[in-house]
Amino acid sequence: MKTQPDMKFEERIAWCKEQLEDPTLPTLREFKGRNGTRAPIVGNFPVWAPQEIAHAAGALPVTIAGGGSSVEIDHADSRVQSFVCSISRSTLELGLRGYLDPIDAMVFTSICDVARNLGGVFKRNFPKIQTFYLHCPQNVASPAAVDYFATELRRFRRAMEDFIGDGITDAAIARSVGVFNEHRSALADLYTLRREHPEKISATESYLLLRASQLMPREEHTAILRSTFAELEARPTRRRDKIRVLIEGSFCEQPPWELIESMEDAGCYIVDDDFLLGPRWYDTPVKLGEDPIRSMAEAYVRYSVTSSIRHYGDRPRADHFAHKLKANQVDGVIFCAAKFCEPALYDYVLLKDIADQAGIPHLSFEFEEKMGVFETLRTQVETFVESILLFAD
Amino acid sequence: MKVIAGVDVGSQTTKAVISDETGKIIGRAQVATKIDLGGAAEKAVAEACRNAGIERSALAYVAATGYGRFQVEFRDLQITEMTCHAYGAHSVFPKTRSVLDIGAQNSRAMGVEANGRVRKFRMNDKCAAGAGRFMERVAKALEVELDQIGALSLKATDPTPISSICAVLAESEVINQVTEGKKVEDIICGAHYSITDRIIALLRQVGGEEEITLTGGVTKNMGMVKTLEDRLAKKVNVGPDAEFMGAIGAALLGLRRLQRVSAAAA
Repeated sequence: MKTQPDMKFEERIAWCKEQLEDPTLPTLREFKGRNGTRAPIVGNFPVWAPQEIAHAAGALPVTIAGGGSSVEIDHADSRVQSFVCSISRSTLELGLRGYLDPIDAMVFTSICDVARNLGGVFKRNFPKIQTFYLHCPQNVASPAAVDYFATELRRFRRAMEDFIGDGITDAAIARSVGVFNEHRSALADLYTLRREHPEKISATESYLLLRASQLMPREEHTAILRSTFAELEARPTRRRDKIRVLIEGSFCEQPPWELIESMEDAGCYIVDDDFLLGPRWYDTPVKLGEDPIRSMAEAYVRYSVTSSIRHYGDRPRADHFAHKLKANQVDGVIFCAAKFCEPALYDYVLLKDIADQAGIPHLSFEFEEKMGVFETLRTQVETFVESILLFAD
Repeated sequence: MKVIAGVDVGSQTTKAVISDETGKIIGRAQVATKIDLGGAAEKAVAEACRNAGIERSALAYVAATGYGRFQVEFRDLQITEMTCHAYGAHSVFPKTRSVLDIGAQNSRAMGVEANGRVRKFRMNDKCAAGAGRFMERVAKALEVELDQIGALSLKATDPTPISSICAVLAESEVINQVTEGKKVEDIICGAHYSITDRIIALLRQVGGEEEITLTGGVTKNMGMVKTLEDRLAKKVNVGPDAEFMGAIGAALLGLRRLQRVSAAAA
């Protein structure tokens, strides 16, 4: 069997798709089965978690971003009401079906009421999975925010130490921060390539690569990305007459990959997005000081990317969104939020006004993990594209 | 001189036209679509280029429409059928405010603004009912050539509408009418009325304002045009290029886009 590094680009994308569509998490089962691997797997619910600390503890940090379209929600509906987002129900379903067996621990953070309560539901339902809950600062403008979050991260570090039964050194955390800085840098290069040459790699392909990063060692994924760039340079492509689009609202629950493909088919070059934002949480490297935990807290408070679930001090959400519209030279915005995702849907009200002020047309729709027909949506997007390309004043 | 191709990959036939930079159609071609949609598009465009007397490599822009538009690898842009048929109809009959496109697989009604832009549209939502394929099934059941059904329909004296909206069930209903001794022309005309009633329902949903222009392959069927005019109690526009209207719309929208891009670059 070919291993990831040996694969050609198209094979790799097909492999990523297979992983995404298999809810039994085969890469994690394979990781657990590796000879001599006793490393625990520490999962987190989106959007963000301090994966560097889990990595420094010798664990494999992964993101469990729902069950997608391939898992029937059966058991979970008996525990969670139907008017919450798909990702919370399908993530619970994965656990109830035993698909999360390779996971030793799960981290939840304070992104919304649903995620907060899901942490409690996990604790009650899965005694074999150690559950951690992290209170991220809601008011990062407060002078106490860094001190507060450093304290919270230290609490998490101690909990991880208890979990693995060993200490986690500052040096190990600093090394792990370096590993994640490298990975974020490679992902940033991937997004730069898409922004500058959207015909070289589609948003669907880039998304599949991004999703795969969260189910494998980050060092391996960085190497894969770096080797991919050389291949993409040589890829024969044809630039079509499409509009440049920014996608906003898909930072937590992920749209089906077919939905992304439908938007691209309909005539969009998706030049930027907020798909699975956690692995791209900082747009600059985390600057290491003497205390790596404090450095991580400072990074979170000072230069996390703006999003609906991280509130702002000196980087107001609206200003940053306006900057994104300009920097990406977009012709249109598609607000693509998960059904029942309150953070994304509340932000829509703010952000659509910013798009209006910038004179950028926008389209909005809601998705669910299990939507299976994309024809109507594609027609909507095509109409949007035509209105911009052919009839805009 | 810049030349633009518009290609309409329909379920039955693929049509291509070539437009010069003034919007004049200088070449056209039509081929059977078959299974290779991209191949049909290439063949139609190549033939349209020959018909226009230009080299294939001279094309500055290719706009694709029709249900197979995504299979046209050499396209610069794909455009929905609604937009293309509306714009094509507007270019030939500038006072058009409603367009009925009756193709092999789908029927659509579009309300059109004064500049040719689609204001509202509706499509048939039940399999091939209300579309050309329905008439094919009827013709086949009656052992009549498709190109004869229009002329036969005009001879009808006692048309009997078909009640089923499903093309397959309609075939059974036609056989029942044959066993009851109904005349072939009356059955065909009745089938036309059945389709017409459904299409007019679509038209009403988009406003149904005048002028009404008919596009798509079914426009070749004069029996169909007559039943439509009877039911509407008014004349509809049917141009000699009605079947090519999607491809014409695509080519002219391609030209419009090319002019915008050139103006932005200048």
